[in-house]
Amino acid sequence: MIRQITVWLQSISPEVLTKALRVSLTILIGLFVVRVLAVVTQRFIMRKSTAQRQMIARKIISYAGFFLVLMGVLSELGLKLTALLGAAGIVGIAVGFASQTSVSNIISGLFLISEKPFGVGDVIRIGTTTGIIQSIDLLSIKIRTFDNLFVRIPNEKILSSEVTNITRFPIRRMDIVFQVDYDQDLNKVHELLAEVARDNPWSLDEPVPAIIFSDFKESGIEVLLGLWFAKSDFMELKNSIMKDISSLFASEGVRFAHPNRLVKIVEGSAATS
Amino acid sequence: MQKTGIAVWDQVEIAQRQCAAWRFPFRSIWVERIESEWHALSLPETGKRSEARSMFIPRTQKPESSRWRHYLHRESGLVQPTPVLPDRPIVVRPDRALTLLPGQSTIFFLEIPVWFRLSTVGPRAARIFEEPLCVLTRTWFGDPVTGELCWGLAARLHHSIDSVETSAWIAVCPLMIENDSDTDLDFEKICLHVENLSVFRGTLRLWANSLNVIFKGPDQATQIEIVHTPPGFEQGLTMVGAARQPAAGWNIRKTFGMLKYFTDF
Repeated sequence: MIRQITVWLQSISPEVLTKALRVSLTILIGLFVVRVLAVVTQRFIMRKSTAQRQMIARKIISYAGFFLVLMGVLSELGLKLTALLGAAGIVGIAVGFASQTSVSNIISGLFLISEKPFGVGDVIRIGTTTGIIQSIDLLSIKIRTFDNLFVRIPNEKILSSEVTNITRFPIRRMDIVFQVDYDQDLNKVHELLAEVARDNPWSLDEPVPAIIFSDFKESGIEVLLGLWFAKSDFMELKNSIMKDISSLFASEGVRFAHPNRLVKIVEGSAATS
Repeated sequence: MQKTGIAVWDQVEIAQRQCAAWRFPFRSIWVERIESEWHALSLPETGKRSEARSMFIPRTQKPESSRWRHYLHRESGLVQPTPVLPDRPIVVRPDRALTLLPGQSTIFFLEIPVWFRLSTVGPRAARIFEEPLCVLTRTWFGDPVTGELCWGLAARLHHSIDSVETSAWIAVCPLMIENDSDTDLDFEKICLHVENLSVFRGTLRLWANSLNVIFKGPDQATQIEIVHTPPGFEQGLTMVGAARQPAAGWNIRKTFGMLKYFTDF
């Protein structure tokens, strides 16, 4: 076996060996330089930029670098690049027709990157999916949901869907809607809700909490309590405010409305006779 | 150790297996040293006690709680309690409506509750923990997009230092305001970046840096000057709590809140 390899190596001309060595060096040095450039750009030159911009810059450098290395290798192998590029154009058109969805995703990705409706680290909601953006790529965005699932959403779908960026602004309002019985004193309900909002440590006192008696419903009067909070305090406020309302209403004798039906049986009516 | 008033901020030597307590009107803090661990507990108070006190207490009398926190730090038992100002800007809501007419200036003395910081003293000095001595409300200053998260403080605007009660847990901030515009200046909310201010210790009370505020008009940011020397209302002040984020002498910021932002339906 070793003898066969030795014979095979001896049969290769020095020109071929030199070419192979040059190709190997082009690949190794080229990829190393591309890698170093990407890392230096991300960690030093764009240190103060957002994670999203760093990621885009790294990908542009990587893709462009790989392309140049590939061109260099092909040139070393003696292929005429002009003819190759011409052929690549024809092949590209054919591939483009065959992969319209991918091209659409790429163009959508470019629009998303330029429009910047969200960035890496933002929490967004698309349809029924809510999660933290992990990366924004040319074809898709990757999301990690709060139950730790990995979701890939094609850019084309994002561009044509309603996207809610939950963490875009520093404060948000949490709306809590419930119903109280019709026989409750609404002034008292208002006072109690104001007290709950005032005493809760996560609720902002400015902007002022909204307390609105919004509708007459089938079983009771609908109340909306809108509390402003810093976006990082969502869970703390959500949990504490529900407990606060429930315990204060219980201690003050305020009753939530439950669905109920009042059935009256009229003596002598057609139904009973 | 049995200290009251401003002396609660003196250095204290806590021996092994000894428990020290600092009692303030709205917050009590217990600290115990066991081997290389510092055990700390912070509990809210009712506000019935008006004076600040510090003392050693028998270990049998320390509160039982699951909220004791343990800090690992090998340093001798000498600790330094330090009053520091809150970690966010404060939005002061005056207790009464006041209007400063164009071209007029005035001085107010604002009372700002301090935070309690405990640090070890020595070559490997380190901060052990920090606690607010009075819990302030959370509030927002500015519009919902570009504003900032602040602590809210309802306060009385004192025109004279004589009307400000002496307290070991409140820093007095002299605030000189000049209305250099041609419109009335209504005090509804004042946003103070207290993280830029230091705390000074006097004989009876704590002080913060004086602030000179020049109001240029409702559409313009306000010029604020932090006077870095101790306030001149008491002699012999020493700096005890350095500013969290030291700032340059002059600053331009939005300080007065008068606009109603669209945050409702």
